[in-house]
Amino acid sequence: MTQGLVFNVQRYSIHDGPGIRTIVFLQGCPLHCPWCSNPESQGPVRPLTWVKNGVEETITHWMTVDQVLDEIEKDEVFYRTSGGGVTLSGGECLVQADFSAELLKAVHALGINTAIETTGAVPMRSVQKVLPYVDQALFDLKIMDPIRARDVIGDNVAMVKASFEAFLQADSVKVTPRIPLIPGYTTVPENLQQIVDYVQSVGVPEVHILPFHQYGSQKYKYLKRDYQLEDTPLLTTEEVDTIHTLFESQGIHAVVSGLE
Amino acid sequence: MIATQTYLNARPTSQIQAMKAHLFKTKRQISIERALLYTKSYQQTQGQPLILRRAQATAYILDHVKISIRDGELLVGNRTVRPRSGILSPEMDPYWIMDEIDTIATRPQDQFEFTETDKATYRKVLLPYWQGRSMKDFINAKLTPEVKGALDDRVIKLNQTDKGQGHIIMDFPAILSRGVGDYVTTLQAKIEQEPDNDFFKAALLVFEAMQRHFQRYADLAREMITTAPAYRKVELAEIASMCERLETKAPTTFYEALQLLWMTSIVGQFESNASSLSLGRMDQYLGDFYQAALDDPEIPASFLHEVLGDFYLKTNDVVLLRSAESAKCFAGFPTGYTVSLGGYDKYGQYSVNALSNEMLDIYHEIQLPQPNLSVRINEQIPRRFLNKTCETIRLGTGIPMIFNDEVCIPGFLSKGVSLDDARDYGVVGCVETTIPGRTYGLHDIALFNLMRVMELAIDDLKDDPEVTYAKLRQHILDKIDHYVKIVTAGSDIVDLGHRNFAPIPFLSALVEDCIQNGKDVTQGGARYNFSGVQGIGEPNLADSLYVIKQAVFENHELTFKHLVEVLHSNYAGEDGEALRQHLIHDFDKYGNDNAELDMECAKIFRHFALELGKYHNIRGGEFNAGAYTVSAHIPLGEDVGATPDGRKAHEQLADGGLSPMVGRDHLGPTAVLKSVSKIDNTLAVNGSLLNVKFSPATLKGDNGIKKFADFLMAFTQLKIRHVQFNVQSRETLLDAQKHPENYAGLVVRVAGYSAFFVDLNKHIQDDIIARAEHSL
Repeated sequence: MTQGLVFNVQRYSIHDGPGIRTIVFLQGCPLHCPWCSNPESQGPVRPLTWVKNGVEETITHWMTVDQVLDEIEKDEVFYRTSGGGVTLSGGECLVQADFSAELLKAVHALGINTAIETTGAVPMRSVQKVLPYVDQALFDLKIMDPIRARDVIGDNVAMVKASFEAFLQADSVKVTPRIPLIPGYTTVPENLQQIVDYVQSVGVPEVHILPFHQYGSQKYKYLKRDYQLEDTPLLTTEEVDTIHTLFESQGIHAVVSGLE
Repeated sequence: MIATQTYLNARPTSQIQAMKAHLFKTKRQISIERALLYTKSYQQTQGQPLILRRAQATAYILDHVKISIRDGELLVGNRTVRPRSGILSPEMDPYWIMDEIDTIATRPQDQFEFTETDKATYRKVLLPYWQGRSMKDFINAKLTPEVKGALDDRVIKLNQTDKGQGHIIMDFPAILSRGVGDYVTTLQAKIEQEPDNDFFKAALLVFEAMQRHFQRYADLAREMITTAPAYRKVELAEIASMCERLETKAPTTFYEALQLLWMTSIVGQFESNASSLSLGRMDQYLGDFYQAALDDPEIPASFLHEVLGDFYLKTNDVVLLRSAESAKCFAGFPTGYTVSLGGYDKYGQYSVNALSNEMLDIYHEIQLPQPNLSVRINEQIPRRFLNKTCETIRLGTGIPMIFNDEVCIPGFLSKGVSLDDARDYGVVGCVETTIPGRTYGLHDIALFNLMRVMELAIDDLKDDPEVTYAKLRQHILDKIDHYVKIVTAGSDIVDLGHRNFAPIPFLSALVEDCIQNGKDVTQGGARYNFSGVQGIGEPNLADSLYVIKQAVFENHELTFKHLVEVLHSNYAGEDGEALRQHLIHDFDKYGNDNAELDMECAKIFRHFALELGKYHNIRGGEFNAGAYTVSAHIPLGEDVGATPDGRKAHEQLADGGLSPMVGRDHLGPTAVLKSVSKIDNTLAVNGSLLNVKFSPATLKGDNGIKKFADFLMAFTQLKIRHVQFNVQSRETLLDAQKHPENYAGLVVRVAGYSAFFVDLNKHIQDDIIARAEHSL
């Protein structure tokens, strides 16, 4: 039986895909974004503990598809009334591509909407495995310059673009680019312009922009890791507006989300 | 201006906000006027049958109470000239007022000024007359040692021993279609047929007094014309002639219908001075009147707005004076002008009309605690009306609350109510449901503290070396049975007290079958005759049993005896506190969708409800279970020592009734709803209460409304009976606590009703702030 390494199942998510959703967070990520709000997911897929309030806690759990379905099913009535469903997130959920594919297939077969949050930083065969079972891909576009992407977050831009375009070509998948606005990293004007150019070149009319938040900062302490963005201030409304305008003025509709 | 100015377009600008300000300008004060008039009449009717004395006293009040027409009022009828006065009814209980005479102005909850002159009159005139002859005296004398024991054990509390019974919805559709005159002639004919029936005579006395009361307002309006500004002359003239028409005739317009509705309610208030003479399905029985007004080109929208706005304000004019103890349980004046909007009609169709929409729309402008609006939802609710409902909730005042037809209707069917009647249910009081115009339901007759029962059961077994989980659980169930029998006996004594001391013939004539049966509601004249007892503390009980089962009997972490000792010590010392934290955090709690735990809660409630249902009251009706606390989870918590769920001695119990214990749910609102849905809500025929708090951000924008509406549709399918929402951010409430002067108008949900936040004592404010706020 395929098992997945899960570090959280979060119910009543209303900002990550249509309707009321449950998000399944899968462990493991090839990237090392310094702003990551789920630092426990970074690195290879392996069981992990952290120390919270002086107590060591196991934060990852091997689960079978059926076990995850049991959790997902708890909010089935809410998916039905809201057109919601299940979102796989991470980490990079496609690192555990076999498990993700099996889980998405099972959820899809129940007539429940499926979404994934992905960085696309995975080999094409991993994308192909999940493609038939995904209704929506919330696709992160972060740093577009290949050298900077490699050096800062360990990303392979060519791979990301190939994955993005594979989702785009699948008619059954709705693709939503999501751009985390991280001061000094993704918000530098050249990078934003590269994103605009790219989405224009592949004909995507809409992006979601997610202003930087500090929700993950506590987790670095639990993991006894340094958090480089400790002192990075949040973006002001004006700064977000300026970025919003940058997209809109070039014909890309930009939806600000997560700013509550 | 060429067009003739009529009362319909007389006023130059809206008066609603000015009238609203006037309503809250003066401090609340006690008025002894009704008590004095009532007493004076009683002194003149000695020796007559009680029901006739009551009726004459009500009539005497209607004939002599000081009346006024306030600036801007289009609808007339007030209990007191000074707004929001507390009315005494010493005929019910003269003692608590005496005990609290000097503290009522400064008590922690619901203060009222009491002038020294009035206090003196109270001591000299009212107290001596009613001492020894009040309803309270009767009830106290009747209490059996068993009932007294259960009261002393603080397992049960009996309500309405010191004031009118209330919790009733009169047959407003009937009086609106028949008019007062028709009741007078019907009663006269009945008296001719049955000259010895005092109920008919009593009812007639009050209806005739109601006619005279209308005339007094007609006369007053005419008197006021001379000194009134020009526009007001036109309005006063209409008020005068309308009052005269309504003395006999059925209303023909929306304006007249609202006036008759309000006057009927006021007469009912004078008669019983009770909480929760609720308004029922106002959009249903006034919908045609309203539509006709909309269709009439002569009637401007501004007039309809003013008259409905005036009605809303008036429902805040009546406040209920409660004893300090009662005010703890029912804090912030839940007067109970509850209105139910929408819901199935008798054809099984969702019924919503222009007035249903307008009643939500106008609420956005007025935002006061009354009328306490509720929306009946079911699987057929049109999305447009549901969205409007959500938008109104988003205002943050907790209004409207939501009732689920898919639960309430089967609940009534299970109690022998006909399908037509069950579909016509209305909300009465806070969260109780009743069949309007057909029920005397004693919906708020008693509270039953399940946590005290558990505490006593645990103590019984503390030295039992053979104790097992099964044995403990069984012992709790046996004790529930024991006290259920007693609470029904106690409720019957109060029921009898109201029969013998407080018949309400006017109100009874507006409850179907009473005239046919020739009996007052207190005599069992109504079609449906329930008594409702609230089981309190289910969530804490389930959490506690889960801890005991796991920690003591499965994991053997500590012995039962040791646990009891720790509880008795109130988790004293470092070890005690460490254990408490362990019990709170390492064992699942109700509200987190743990089926095993939630089902234990469900089984206990089912046991309680079915046991209660075995008993019949003195009117031949069944006892129904409720699962709501209003604000009683605070005082009832004071009666309970430390409990195995990690709750310290005297801390509050879970709020609402079916809400998780404060701070113990951590998986969000969908998990809360799932836990609550495990309890068979259909069994809570008398009422249940679930509080859910959302952060304002969650409900932002059209998308917020859409997902909120979707959430409510899931609630409908999960067969949960009731839910209400507080949508104020924690920061707002904390700031309001610090700077009450800036938040005079902030309305929040307490439990089953809304109140001004600044009117609540700190305990209840803290409770509201602490209830988990769901957002992302």
